[in-house]
Amino acid sequence: MKAPILPEILAPAGSLEKLKVAVLYGASAVYAGGQKFGLRTAADNFTLDELREGVSFAHERNAQVYVVLNSFLHDKDLAELPDFVRFLEEIKADAVIVSDLGVVRTVRALSKIPVHVSTQASTLNVEAAKFWKSMGATRIVLGREVSIADAGKIRREADIEIEMFIHGSMCMAYSGNCVISNFTQGRDSNRGGCAHSCRFEYSLEDINTKEKKSAFFMSSKDLQGLRLLKDFIDAGIDSLKIEGRMKSHLYAGTMSKVYSEALRYYEAHGDFLSDDLIRWEQELSKVSHRAYTEASLSEPAGADSIFNEREDHNKNEWKMVGTVINASPESGTVIEVRNAFNQGDELEVIPFRGEPIIVRATEIMDLNRRPLPRTKPTTIVRLPFIPGIGASQLVRQKSV
Amino acid sequence: MNLTGFANHQHDLSLLKDSGFTEVIVGMREFSRFGRLEHDTFLKLSSDAKALGMRVIFEWDILMTEENFDVCASKIHSYMDHFDVLRVQDPGAFHWAVHRCDKPIHFIAESGNHNLEALKGWCEAGGNKLERIVLSIELARDTLKEYCTKLPVPCELLGLGRILLFYSPRSLLAPLSPEKIVVNEEIEALGESEESPHKGFPVLENRHGTFMFHIKEFCLVEYASDLASIGLSWLRIDQRFNERNFTPEAVKIVKREAMFENFKAEYPQELMRGFYHVNKSDVLFPKLKNFRLQRQGDFIGEVLEAEKASHLAILVKNPKGFKVGDKFQIIHPKGEIFEGEVHSLRDVNLVEVSVVPQGELALIPFINGVWVKSQLFFRESSK
Repeated sequence: MKAPILPEILAPAGSLEKLKVAVLYGASAVYAGGQKFGLRTAADNFTLDELREGVSFAHERNAQVYVVLNSFLHDKDLAELPDFVRFLEEIKADAVIVSDLGVVRTVRALSKIPVHVSTQASTLNVEAAKFWKSMGATRIVLGREVSIADAGKIRREADIEIEMFIHGSMCMAYSGNCVISNFTQGRDSNRGGCAHSCRFEYSLEDINTKEKKSAFFMSSKDLQGLRLLKDFIDAGIDSLKIEGRMKSHLYAGTMSKVYSEALRYYEAHGDFLSDDLIRWEQELSKVSHRAYTEASLSEPAGADSIFNEREDHNKNEWKMVGTVINASPESGTVIEVRNAFNQGDELEVIPFRGEPIIVRATEIMDLNRRPLPRTKPTTIVRLPFIPGIGASQLVRQKSV
Repeated sequence: MNLTGFANHQHDLSLLKDSGFTEVIVGMREFSRFGRLEHDTFLKLSSDAKALGMRVIFEWDILMTEENFDVCASKIHSYMDHFDVLRVQDPGAFHWAVHRCDKPIHFIAESGNHNLEALKGWCEAGGNKLERIVLSIELARDTLKEYCTKLPVPCELLGLGRILLFYSPRSLLAPLSPEKIVVNEEIEALGESEESPHKGFPVLENRHGTFMFHIKEFCLVEYASDLASIGLSWLRIDQRFNERNFTPEAVKIVKREAMFENFKAEYPQELMRGFYHVNKSDVLFPKLKNFRLQRQGDFIGEVLEAEKASHLAILVKNPKGFKVGDKFQIIHPKGEIFEGEVHSLRDVNLVEVSVVPQGELALIPFINGVWVKSQLFFRESSK
């Protein structure tokens, strides 16, 4: 029997550092944005030099880089696009992710760079996929309302690559069909200015009974499709996307690691019947997130997919304490500290593959090798050297 | 200026006919986001409209996943003889209409489609079947003028009606009142956000999902002659949500037979022009982040630690490395600029070195005023 082709794990790269984290932790592709044309205006995004370096870094490690051009561009924005497209072709970006037919046509006219149609276009059915294919698209990022089974059908009948979200925050609206920010805050949500009004609490008054209820009724739980990986594979889905260019290094690393590790397990064993499934789920729960849902991956999302509570980003039990900058017997384990920890604390260093390495911070020194009882954010400290720990690995700690 | 509008009842139809409309948009519950017609009522209304000499525009504007799409595509055939034009928004329905249906098409390009190239693309894809394109209400007058002039098909714009802010396929109101008895498959509420001064957002749930509208309605009827002068062919009056149908009054404004101020005072909702005069919805973007933290020019690296009276620790990110003699510029996150030259350099092991390679920590003497996250760049003379 022919072995199934495994989907790529496509991770978010909100900055050059996050791109490197995602690739090092196993993502087979990343998506990144330049300073314009994307939907995450507030993200660090990439300068041209950073994009060039990011593509080079990823290609050296057999990973691909897709560049988002997924705003609904206005004419003045579109006028600036050709130079950027030529640049992307020059640096050998692997694809662009596009929402807008005008952008598709502009890219197709200027270059041979593959065009992926963004989830912003809310492609939901076979005919829509055929339309975009006829416009020159090579891949469709389906709307998050599409089930895995329907995605398989769309792939077969439209004969085009299919990408689906497997993890992350979700719009409650059909993507590209929400303009709350545009009309209430003067910020175009479809050009990167989304004010996340769907996460607010609303008081709702029944127009008949005048009864009032307060609810976060437009806020969605986060998508998590780990247990449906086999369904994605069986349906022939080409790419599994992780949402979150605005999210942390720890998020980019953890997601890339868990999902790529799960796929490697499948490649080796042909199933997901692993005790590691529980561990992978535990790992996914160690990054900040809303309650998880499988949303519409199997059945249309129901009432239990609504996240009817206030956001609390400090609720997570685990925090990232830093990144390893250097590790050798001479230097010790040198960590750039993001969140403070104390002497004696137990830390976990996350290797690129395999289980976390537990480190007890018995001895902390500053860069000048002076002992410290406690670290401070935005400083660099040394811990004793532990074999197996290397540069760029992330360090986390369970919150007290 | 041609006018178009919606009818759910015979009464609506009469109002449109009496107001000079030559066509009517009809929405069946199964195909239209806000349609309320069932099989029999649609057939009756369609027949009545035709008897009045009006063209019947069949609205199929829902967005559909595959199963729903298949159901709609198979059922619509039984209605083909009862309408003249098919009006679609889902790109799948558009593609289906172009390739599998003989009817002329009105394409609703209201979501996105804010550039001429996109609109030209839809026109080309629609070919001879595309009879009209419905433009976004986010377009400003000057842009509308350009599009109406350059597009090969007549353009339509909302002239009066609700502004749809949010369209979700999920049921969002029903879960709040599971005991509630739903009338005509619809639940309606007025929403008030904790973060917004606006109150009374109409929220509607029906079989297609949940919709939220702006508290004010969109109104350009007072600019009808201006819109006609810039080439707009069709103006749409949408009175589906008002208890009293204000179409005749709106038409009087269009025809300049009544004062807009009186109309505005009498109309049940507040009115707004949206972005008609100017669309500046990207003007706040530069304030959303600190551009000083971006790489500019020949980047050396970033300050990760600033230890007073001791050192600046810099993570070197330039492939050329960082070496003694290099002249550099430091840009502070607040924009202050410092300049210097490397006279002494230590590596992560505190050993004096002449060069620190990419990816390693470089320590230079502390510079007063420089903070963590400051960015280092080679000065021109060091390149």
